[in-house]
Amino acid sequence: MISASAFFFYLFSAILLASAAAVVTSRNPVHAVLFLILAFFNAAGLFLLAGAEFLAMILLIVYVGAVAVLFLFVVMMLDVDFVQLREGVQKYAPVGAAVGAVLFGELWAVVLGWQVSPGADSLQGSPTPANMDNTHALGQVLYTDYVYLFQVSSLILLVAMIGAIVLTHRRREGTRRQNITMQQTRSVRDTLETLQVRMGAGVQELGILRPRPRAEPAEEEPRHEHAAGDH
Amino acid sequence: MHDFFFNTLVGHVLLVMGETLAVLVPVLMLMAYSTYFERKALGAFQLRRGPNRVGPFGLTQPFADAVKLLFKETIIPAGANRLLFLMAPAITFVLACMAWAVIPTFDGGAVADINVGILYLFAISSLGVYGIVVAGWASNSKYAFLGALRSAAQMISYEVSIGFVLVCVILCAGSLNLNDIVRAQKNLWYCVPLFPMFVVFLVSMLAETNRAPFDLPEGESEIVAGFFVEYSSMAFGLFFLGEYTNMLLMSALASILFLGGWQAPFGLSFIPGVVWLLLKICMFMFFYFWVRATFPRYRYDQLMRLGWKVFLPLSLGWVVVTAGFLEVFHMLPGESM
Amino acid sequence: MMNWAAASPEIFLAVAGMAILLFGVLLKKENAALCTMLVLGAFAATFVMVMQTVPQTAYSSLFVTDAFASYAKLLILAGGALTMVLSLDYNERQGIGRFEFPVLMLFSTVGMMTMASAANLMTLYMGLELMSLSIYVLAAFAREELRSAEAGLKYFVLSALASGLLLYGISLTYGFAGTMDFAKLPDAVTGVDGVSTGLMVGIAFVIAGLAFKLSAVPFHMWTPDVYEGAPTPVTAFMSTAPKVAPFVVLLRVLIGPFGHVSVQWQPIIEVVSIASMLLGSFAAIGQTNIKRLMAYSSIGHMGYALVGLAPGTESGVRGVLIYLLTYVAMSAGAFACVIAMRRQGKSVERISDLAGLAKTDLPLASLLTLFMFSMAGVPPFAGFFGKLYVFLAAVQSGLWLLAIVGILTSVVACYYYIRIIKVMFFDAPAPAFDTRSASVSFVAIASGMFTLLFVLALGPFTGAAEAAARVLFG
Repeated sequence: MISASAFFFYLFSAILLASAAAVVTSRNPVHAVLFLILAFFNAAGLFLLAGAEFLAMILLIVYVGAVAVLFLFVVMMLDVDFVQLREGVQKYAPVGAAVGAVLFGELWAVVLGWQVSPGADSLQGSPTPANMDNTHALGQVLYTDYVYLFQVSSLILLVAMIGAIVLTHRRREGTRRQNITMQQTRSVRDTLETLQVRMGAGVQELGILRPRPRAEPAEEEPRHEHAAGDH
Repeated sequence: MHDFFFNTLVGHVLLVMGETLAVLVPVLMLMAYSTYFERKALGAFQLRRGPNRVGPFGLTQPFADAVKLLFKETIIPAGANRLLFLMAPAITFVLACMAWAVIPTFDGGAVADINVGILYLFAISSLGVYGIVVAGWASNSKYAFLGALRSAAQMISYEVSIGFVLVCVILCAGSLNLNDIVRAQKNLWYCVPLFPMFVVFLVSMLAETNRAPFDLPEGESEIVAGFFVEYSSMAFGLFFLGEYTNMLLMSALASILFLGGWQAPFGLSFIPGVVWLLLKICMFMFFYFWVRATFPRYRYDQLMRLGWKVFLPLSLGWVVVTAGFLEVFHMLPGESM
Repeated sequence: MMNWAAASPEIFLAVAGMAILLFGVLLKKENAALCTMLVLGAFAATFVMVMQTVPQTAYSSLFVTDAFASYAKLLILAGGALTMVLSLDYNERQGIGRFEFPVLMLFSTVGMMTMASAANLMTLYMGLELMSLSIYVLAAFAREELRSAEAGLKYFVLSALASGLLLYGISLTYGFAGTMDFAKLPDAVTGVDGVSTGLMVGIAFVIAGLAFKLSAVPFHMWTPDVYEGAPTPVTAFMSTAPKVAPFVVLLRVLIGPFGHVSVQWQPIIEVVSIASMLLGSFAAIGQTNIKRLMAYSSIGHMGYALVGLAPGTESGVRGVLIYLLTYVAMSAGAFACVIAMRRQGKSVERISDLAGLAKTDLPLASLLTLFMFSMAGVPPFAGFFGKLYVFLAAVQSGLWLLAIVGILTSVVACYYYIRIIKVMFFDAPAPAFDTRSASVSFVAIASGMFTLLFVLALGPFTGAAEAAARVLFG
């Protein structure tokens, strides 16, 4: 009888591999992205089994919650014609297969020549200290030993942000923006006017036009006559 | 005897299932009745009576609604992606239920009292986007798709501020475990020292659940019904269930983060923690209804402006202020140890 | 307690960059020139700070400051500053004068300085990414222009692939050695029975990733298109500081942690070097666009510089450092001349546009002649000494093949450098160029003076390079 964790390991791994294969083979790009998300989920499950709960959650939040949403947006909005994309497959398949075979051979050679150097054991990442959980331990090294790299990675993200803005943001002429200060400082006097209205008189008869012309209130009288004369 | 049984695999599975039901059944009942109370509350706000025909005081109205939805025909639009179309509401509903696993109802009580509970909640709530986007896309309708894009953009935008609010709370509590966060509020609820973040969270949770005044993805003045315009019958029902379960979840989260969860106020600890938590959740639910009755709907650009230009800098700044304050006054959790 | 002060130049520069960014955003007006000036000021301050750093290791040995790092950083800052001055006038005339430009250059420089101080493969990678990401954006900076956008995208896609190769190499190295620390790697590299295959593959991938940034053959494909498409100050920038940083990192990695397995990587470097020299000299012959020509020229120059790395000796490293110094000066000067090529408000890039320049604008023609002679390696200009030192180092170590190929390709390269001089002096004059701004003239004259008078200051510069090289050999 296999233990529960072994069972879940094989379950997650099997689904992970199957969905990863489906990402590459599915005809519909949206399905491919959804399979990718499934793959992320199972990877998170594997992290959990390995005791890295923080990584599992971050994988979900960052990759599933943000990156894959972006993928999905792009794939849904782009009208990708996959039949057209696949046209070259027949032609390039042999070359691709050859490159793949070479890479596989190299990897195989690497695996065969695998040997761990004698001092490596002592250098390998030590397991979580006994009296704290995984997240705590991660934070302890991230903000002390690796603070320099942490800060450099934040600079990288800043540059990415600047880049996205520089390359896409443009000021269009003639757009109207909401000016909240202006809205708040407007007084009733500027916008409202109380009028005495005759019973039964229509808007046209009163000569009230919207928007009301600001200047020259004297003009109102003749227009009123004009409007009345029309009817 | 008991311990022995629950330590076997079968026993453990049964125990977890029992716990899950013990959480989910009350949540679903609460959800059903929150629709009733919403209509009653809105009625009161608008000087009407609200539902009062089905059963005494209209109390069986939620069940009548459910039966009506169940007996309607499920319409699948032509050209829709059948599988995804039916999967989307299920995703929404299942995710909304999954999140309840880590909500602590009394001291140490949660189906899964995990170390990274708050991250789990954040992860699950960020997955809610998928139900919406998939629904919009699978409907094969441009209105649904536009609605989905808007909803998704809105949820992602406000998730950012929620994330920073969570960081503030985590900084004060020194743990990602929800029970620890509640325990850390033994003497002072976080709504007092983190008041600005409390306000940001209250507003963001309205936006995160696509509720008024941020319900423009489904508002009558905009795209009617938004991403679920093509849904009918129980498929629509599942979205509806998901929305209210999410509202309850956000209310529970707000209670846990800022109002001390199951902690009793004023030393009234003879009343069990579950009751206090329920009371706090109901208070936030009423807040939802109250806001809906009071405020006009936001415009899309105003919504985005609020999220990115007001809440994001504010919450980010507050993280810095909180961290600086705790550091300067040596109040960081674990520092005295 | 952590020693924060070790990285104070980098920290200062990064903070200054963020401050200038905020300033630029909040000021709202057209302020590109002002921001460029501020960034130049920050560069000057950082230059002084780098000169005052003391050798030490910091941040749990992720970061090291020594004479080698300081030499590289000063060179990077100088190259960055020179090309920044070039951007002042060009960007405004091309209508791409935005304050983000100098800020991005600044962050790129922070990345390069991080690379120069890397004492760990992770630091190397982070610095490299910061440098590259800024350059992707800079290459596409003239976004209205199709060529520029294409250059940015092309560079991004290919460079991302190269980064992937580099990461793969780093992870293989980590997997087989169990550490990424340069100080600990030498012990871990040699196992019980020699070097493991996996580690060798790792080293090869690291070399490939860095060779891409150096645009050395066979990872050079992006260079001509990107050089041609990117705005000219960005091209100038790409051919100065961002060539220095990967090169010094390559030196540090190969000589430091992998120094005692030089037998393993030497053939790779030799092949890359020979291929770069050959391609750089032969492919440039048919070019009609001066920016493409400079691209092939830079491929060739990287080949020559690699000649100095191949022996893995102290004199070789010294030669490379001198070569990089002279190359930065020549490149900045040559690109200043290219930027001066404007006719009726438009930038022109064909070699035939230079026809008869000696009759319309003798100072510019003579400066460009100076740079072309120097690049060709004609004594007594600066470029000659760079070549001299690397070839000498190769000969001393018995790498005759490299030296001979180097000299032969130099002769071939002379052909296209001197062709430009011929066009300028003997062809029928084309219409005169627009008047150039003082900033462009300044860079051209400063680099020209350096190239011309390098021979007089040979002692101090060689001394500095020698001190820097000695660090790597402990």
